[in-house]
Amino acid sequence: MARVAARVSDWFGAALWGVIQSGSIIVVLIGWELLARSGLFTAFLLPTLSSVLARVVEDAVSGLLFLDLSVTLYRAVLGFAIAAAAGVALGILIARIPSIHWLFDPIVSIGFPMPKVAFLPVFMLWFGVYDLSKVSMIVFNAIFPVIAATVAGTQGVDKHMIWSARSLGAKERDILREIILPAALPQILTGLQVALPTALIVAIVTEIIMGGDGLGASMIRASRYADSPGVFAGIVEIAAAGWLVIKSVEAIRRRLLVWHQETQAVSTV
Amino acid sequence: MTSDGGSGAAAIRVEGVSHRYLPARGKPVLALDHVSLEVREREFLALLGPSGCGKSTLLYLIGGFLPIGEGLIEVGGKRVSEPGPDRGIVFQHFALFPWKTVRENVTYGLAKQGLPRDEQTRRAQEFIDLVKLSGFEDAYPAQLSGGMKQRAALARTLAIDPAILLMDEPFGALDAQTRILMQEELLSIWQRRRKTVVFVTHDVQEAVYLAERVAVMSARPGRIKEIVDTRFSVSGPALFKSPEFVERVDHVWNLVRGEAIAAQGGAA
Repeated sequence: MARVAARVSDWFGAALWGVIQSGSIIVVLIGWELLARSGLFTAFLLPTLSSVLARVVEDAVSGLLFLDLSVTLYRAVLGFAIAAAAGVALGILIARIPSIHWLFDPIVSIGFPMPKVAFLPVFMLWFGVYDLSKVSMIVFNAIFPVIAATVAGTQGVDKHMIWSARSLGAKERDILREIILPAALPQILTGLQVALPTALIVAIVTEIIMGGDGLGASMIRASRYADSPGVFAGIVEIAAAGWLVIKSVEAIRRRLLVWHQETQAVSTV
Repeated sequence: MTSDGGSGAAAIRVEGVSHRYLPARGKPVLALDHVSLEVREREFLALLGPSGCGKSTLLYLIGGFLPIGEGLIEVGGKRVSEPGPDRGIVFQHFALFPWKTVRENVTYGLAKQGLPRDEQTRRAQEFIDLVKLSGFEDAYPAQLSGGMKQRAALARTLAIDPAILLMDEPFGALDAQTRILMQEELLSIWQRRRKTVVFVTHDVQEAVYLAERVAVMSARPGRIKEIVDTRFSVSGPALFKSPEFVERVDHVWNLVRGEAIAAQGGAA
């Protein structure tokens, strides 16, 4: 009994702490509702939060929300997965093979900070306006942080750790898989954590520009029909989807890095 | 080089070894200049010298971690060309695998030897107990203190039973008390499981206390300046106060001092 009570109070405490920590968001949401009701803005410029949430619920009940969400997430996750696999592989090659380093290092240095959405018209010419161009665009944007993190992570592995493994009987061919990759994992995961929201952002941008289906396309359609609550509902849906994605990746990171110092430290939010 | 017979064959033979390294910018630097040295079977030899004298480089060459440009190194009569489990190494900063627990770190080398699972676990436990880390088998390195990390690294290396133990300033990163405790424990382990030990340090007292012979190296380019016999009739903590110990520390310190000053002042 006492244990159950303790469990419940633990849970209650955690929930309360969650509310306190997300306090600023609640303040913004309440401010939105009050401002929209104050009469300073027309419902067209700023619909009330309650009407927007009602639209979100409506979209959810009709199934449209899940249709859009699954299409957008499918593109984002597929593009992210390709960028992750190719980026890690390319990063390892750049870090280990001088000729590949010579070839790709300047390209990565220029490409990383460049606004790559500028290539969107080119991608539309080459690949059309359907999934191929959207997913290619996502890969193109998301791959750079993965490559950069993998190069930095694998080059930064302590050589004494590699030597230890060699003297314990590891062969040269075992070193990459058994030592370098696990040692570089925290940095590679950081690169992936940058790449994933990038993938989501680019998925929505391509949908807004190229149309079709997905959350971004629904938003731009709502905007064209002057459907103000529809546009704001899209923003709320994207924010929620993004938050869920980020949180699940953080959970995966904690799982993978139980051994890492950061896991022993207190996490924020 | 000095041979007084009886102590057995040479475990390690270094002959005319020179080593140059290329700094990020600038000309190649001569780190070791025609170094010759013999380490006897089951002896505890300290390599002592000022920082930058190439003593760690010599250790890495024996370990097979660096290519030997000039000269010859033989271990057990065989020419060194790459690292191997006959030469275990312990580094100053432990070089544990941080994603593995203490037990997984220790079993890594045992798995490489192809031992069956239960034998790996049994042997790992034996060496974890030997270095007094019992109870921390499932801890990750990040959860251990510096001294405990070095115990874990020592267990990992000893578990594969190397004939030679190479130690690269193993207690250099530890606080003074932990260092003294670790020195005593290393000695007691070495007395129970005699191995050939090459111990790199820049601490004169540590070298004279632990080793049977101390090879004093000159400032860069490193050469073997003198080999001092540091075996004593007294043992244990009483040794520190014995006149012969104090006298020998003084002698070795005088050898090192000139070199340390030369190393500080650079090439001039």
